[in-house]
Amino acid sequence: MSSAVTPAEPARLPRVLRAVGGRLVAIASVLLGAATLAFAGLKLLPGDPVATLLGPQTTASPAVRAQIRSDYGFDDPVISQYLHYLGELLHGRLGESYQLQQPVSALIAEQFGSTFELAMSALVLAVVIATVSALATAGRRSALRSALGAWELVAVSTPSFWLGIVLLTVFSFRLQWFPVAGTEGVQTLVLPAVTLALPIAGVLAQVLREGLEKALAEPFVVTARARGLGRGAVRVRHAFRHAAIPLLTLSGWLTGTLLGGTVLVEKVFARPGIGALTLQSVNTKDMPVVMGVVLLAALVFVLISQLTDVLYAVIDPRLRKG
Amino acid sequence: MRAIRPPGIVGAALAAALVLSACTSTTKSGNVAAQADAGPPVRGGSVTVAINTEPTCFDIHVSPQDITASIQRNVFDSLVAEDDQGNFRPWLATSWEVAPDLTSYTFKLRTDVKFTDGTAFDANAVKVNFDRIAAKSTKSQYAASLLGPYTGTEVLDPATVRIRFAKPFAPFLQAASTAYLGFYSPQALAAAGDKLCAGGAQSVGTGPFKFAAHTKGQSLTLENNPAYNWAPTGAGHQGAAYLDKLTFRFLPEDSVRVGAFAGGQVDIAGSIPPVNVKGLEGRADVRILRHDFAGAVYSLFLNTTRAPFDDERVRKAVQRGINIGPNVQSIYFDQYRRAWGPLGSATPSYDKTLENSWPYDPALAGRLLDEAGWTGRDGDGYRTRDGKRLSVQWPSAPAAVREQRDILAQAVQADLKKIGVEVQRPALDLGAFTTNAYAGKYDVLDMSWARFEPDVLRLYFNSSNLPSAGGQNAAWLSNPQIDGWTDSAAATLDRPTRDRLYAQTQAWVIEHAAVVPLYSATTLFATGKQINGLRLDPNAWPLFHDVWSARR
Amino acid sequence: MTATPTADKRRVRIRRRPAPRASVVVALVVLVLFALIGLAPGLFTGTSPIETDPLAALRGPGAEHWFGTDQLGRDVFARVLHGARPSLLLGLGATVFALVGGTLWGLLSALGGRAADQVCMRLADIMLSLPELLLALFVVTLLGRGTVDVMVAVAIAAMPGYARLVRAEALVVRRSGYVEAAAGLGLRRPVLIVRHVLPNAIGPLLVLGTVGFGTSLIYASGLSFLGLGAQPPSPEWGAMLSEGRGFLETAWWIGVFPGAAVTCAVIAVNVAGRHARTRFAGGTAR
Repeated sequence: MSSAVTPAEPARLPRVLRAVGGRLVAIASVLLGAATLAFAGLKLLPGDPVATLLGPQTTASPAVRAQIRSDYGFDDPVISQYLHYLGELLHGRLGESYQLQQPVSALIAEQFGSTFELAMSALVLAVVIATVSALATAGRRSALRSALGAWELVAVSTPSFWLGIVLLTVFSFRLQWFPVAGTEGVQTLVLPAVTLALPIAGVLAQVLREGLEKALAEPFVVTARARGLGRGAVRVRHAFRHAAIPLLTLSGWLTGTLLGGTVLVEKVFARPGIGALTLQSVNTKDMPVVMGVVLLAALVFVLISQLTDVLYAVIDPRLRKG
Repeated sequence: MRAIRPPGIVGAALAAALVLSACTSTTKSGNVAAQADAGPPVRGGSVTVAINTEPTCFDIHVSPQDITASIQRNVFDSLVAEDDQGNFRPWLATSWEVAPDLTSYTFKLRTDVKFTDGTAFDANAVKVNFDRIAAKSTKSQYAASLLGPYTGTEVLDPATVRIRFAKPFAPFLQAASTAYLGFYSPQALAAAGDKLCAGGAQSVGTGPFKFAAHTKGQSLTLENNPAYNWAPTGAGHQGAAYLDKLTFRFLPEDSVRVGAFAGGQVDIAGSIPPVNVKGLEGRADVRILRHDFAGAVYSLFLNTTRAPFDDERVRKAVQRGINIGPNVQSIYFDQYRRAWGPLGSATPSYDKTLENSWPYDPALAGRLLDEAGWTGRDGDGYRTRDGKRLSVQWPSAPAAVREQRDILAQAVQADLKKIGVEVQRPALDLGAFTTNAYAGKYDVLDMSWARFEPDVLRLYFNSSNLPSAGGQNAAWLSNPQIDGWTDSAAATLDRPTRDRLYAQTQAWVIEHAAVVPLYSATTLFATGKQINGLRLDPNAWPLFHDVWSARR
Repeated sequence: MTATPTADKRRVRIRRRPAPRASVVVALVVLVLFALIGLAPGLFTGTSPIETDPLAALRGPGAEHWFGTDQLGRDVFARVLHGARPSLLLGLGATVFALVGGTLWGLLSALGGRAADQVCMRLADIMLSLPELLLALFVVTLLGRGTVDVMVAVAIAAMPGYARLVRAEALVVRRSGYVEAAAGLGLRRPVLIVRHVLPNAIGPLLVLGTVGFGTSLIYASGLSFLGLGAQPPSPEWGAMLSEGRGFLETAWWIGVFPGAAVTCAVIAVNVAGRHARTRFAGGTAR
């Protein structure tokens, strides 16, 4: 991706416009692709869509089935169904859930808050843990480092659903420190957020430390030290800023891990949210909802990756020259 | 699998027995929470109930789900109520008359009933609702079948309606007592008739509670309807419900639901896993409510039309080769009972003589298989005949598994392996599973069917209900004797005759090993000691009109 | 759920080249042990993983049953050992399938001309924009459930990452001097590139594959945990964990030990993978 800002005054406005336009095209093309992929998925789904829609628990008569068939336009040519679907998308309509008979966008909007809350708390928690762990150990050889390194390895290698089960067993069932379920209050958020955060923190800490160690060896650190700055100040003020850049490159992976992770964490902790909605839809083959979630994930991803590109330029002045 | 509902008329048809005969009900132990020293009922307060399923559609006229009816029962009233004995009692109808040929029912309605939006409940409301259920555009997945051969509702005067049917329709009163045939405010139907699946404030009924709030995936809150003064005859009290607020929390994970109850986050929890019962029962502040299972117990149906189960000896071998008792005991911690016949012990006409009549006997099973020619053994220890392994297909739909049935199935697999029978369990998603089931592409199918009525035997074994016709006869029986017994039993209201015919049916299907009954489930609710007045209706659904909490 | 990010998304190199450490040796020993258990679980336990004994149900860990027994009285230790093969095969199969598919995809993109490149890479972009687990769930919705379906779903989710790596390597090779020279000698370009690209890419691919194996193990057990995977009664770690979920209060051992097995396997794989990465220092894609 090209970066946007340039000192060349006369050409500035068109260039900015072109850059913005380029980004919009990139976003739109990924979204269109995801929508097409999702639609293809819907059509590839084996079996009669009406049977799938009704599920097995029904006494629906043939007349009712025919009514559903025409209501949903299942008999229209695939291409016109596709165009209709895209048209609806343009108006922000994601279709209607087969099982819940509600607009998919409403369902997603309803569940978004809870998942967002969980993902954000986990993200903050992970960044804090990783930062502390990396700053405390970078460039040092000590027992602490070995211990933290081992911890990170375990965290990275542990399936989050298992971690969640262990935390639930210990802290909710045995010690009863935290309530077992629910979404009310900060207390109910602690264990799910920790579950989601720990494996991510493990990865972040490793990447941060590698970045820090690299930065600490750079000439500017020596210069700064020579100017009389303390070891800790150098670490935090200069090197850390430098080391944060690789973190940015992880943003795509982070988004995916947080979003994917909520599916399992919400299952283990019986929390409502996008993940729980996805799982329910996968189980009942409620394809419109699955498609909606796929589109949402793609949207979040492209927005964040565009944002990351911009942030690069902000954090590292050298990159601005493009 | 209880997933497939009884096809309307077929399924309901001879629930007819219920209509006139007061089917004796087996007395169920502990279906009313003990009220020792509770003192007089306290008004006000709120109660939270943890349940394991969230309705996907809240529209009682559309949804086929038990849970929808169970929750909405608190919001919607019916024409009549059915009590534990199977008697019908006045509710929104004060009296009724059934035409001798059973093609029409005339109801006298109460005149003091109002919907929570202020609209009066009258004959027109009945007509609008029933017409809506029957309309094709409603896309009813269950209620329409309860109305059977409905042809229309006649408004004789504002307080009198006549419901007409194209042919004699005996089960109508029973159907009319369910929440599926409850009444929406005609005004709400006109305003939002096509959006009622979503539930919410447009679900306006006449019940003791009305909608307050719903967060999908989390909870549904109902609030008191202060005007309520038309509880069915026989209710614990008249007038408004005691509780100000009633909240249902959706907690599908067993351990989480139990944990939430044990930690005091909810007052009542449903579907308590048997493993947790003992621990909860040991606590002084907890009561366990039990309700014996009525209907067709959880059983394996052996496909009698397909090899190897077209050979009765092989079926019998499987029946005697599963060590059912100890497995049920250990998996369900003595809470569910091992079943000896196709009916649950609380069902009318249950045949007690079958108990202990076919104990575990692997040696006999082995001899039967030898006789049937399955004498060879292959490398994995399975029996063979003419070089072919004795292997049976038992499809599973993981999405629909409950009550640890997947674990029980593994025990069955292990036991049958010992007598040399391989059981394969392909995991299918619901669509493929249903398709296979109706096409008979299986050797074993597992099902249970909760219903307070032995007519389920007709649903299960009568040849008019073959899966190919959309029915539940999963053993694919076409036996004139069975057809005769179940049809005649369904056409009479004479109790001894019914008992005899149904006993013959039960004995036959066990004798010929069309079915291997496994366990009879127990409905298990846990309530805090502060909760009083909780009752389970004949369907084992909780009723909250009389519930009050000692803790404010 | 997490796993180490695929290398093409992290542009970090390790500068030093540490000598093999004790941890690596331990990891290799663990891996060999797991492989042995997977090949011949009977060597390590004589107990059947599927034979039930209702009278011995839910015994805690002890001398007789090291990991306790489950609700049917089956020995959890035996089940964990016998679960190694299906669980590891699920991860391994997914990784191999993803590597092969990703390599073909990347080569097609690099050598198939401009149009093919566009299509391949746009598709990869779109797929990479979805969380791997979500993509796998999407594929499982289409395929249905079962061991092979889960394997394919996890592989498809991982494929675009490998495809990008192979394409990048192929482009580097294509532009390198020796290929130009060889082309000057009259050799056909595609043949050349395949001949040179594959050996060059194999190192980074193997490194990525090792890390990917860990990821696949976690995702596959996750899908099994969600009830989309293996067919009972074959013991599979994710499915066992799922079964043990209802017993956290009363019999924690049913769920905890299979989970520990997954974690051990993934740790060992990750340590080995990390070591391999430092050995091929800088061999990661850019």
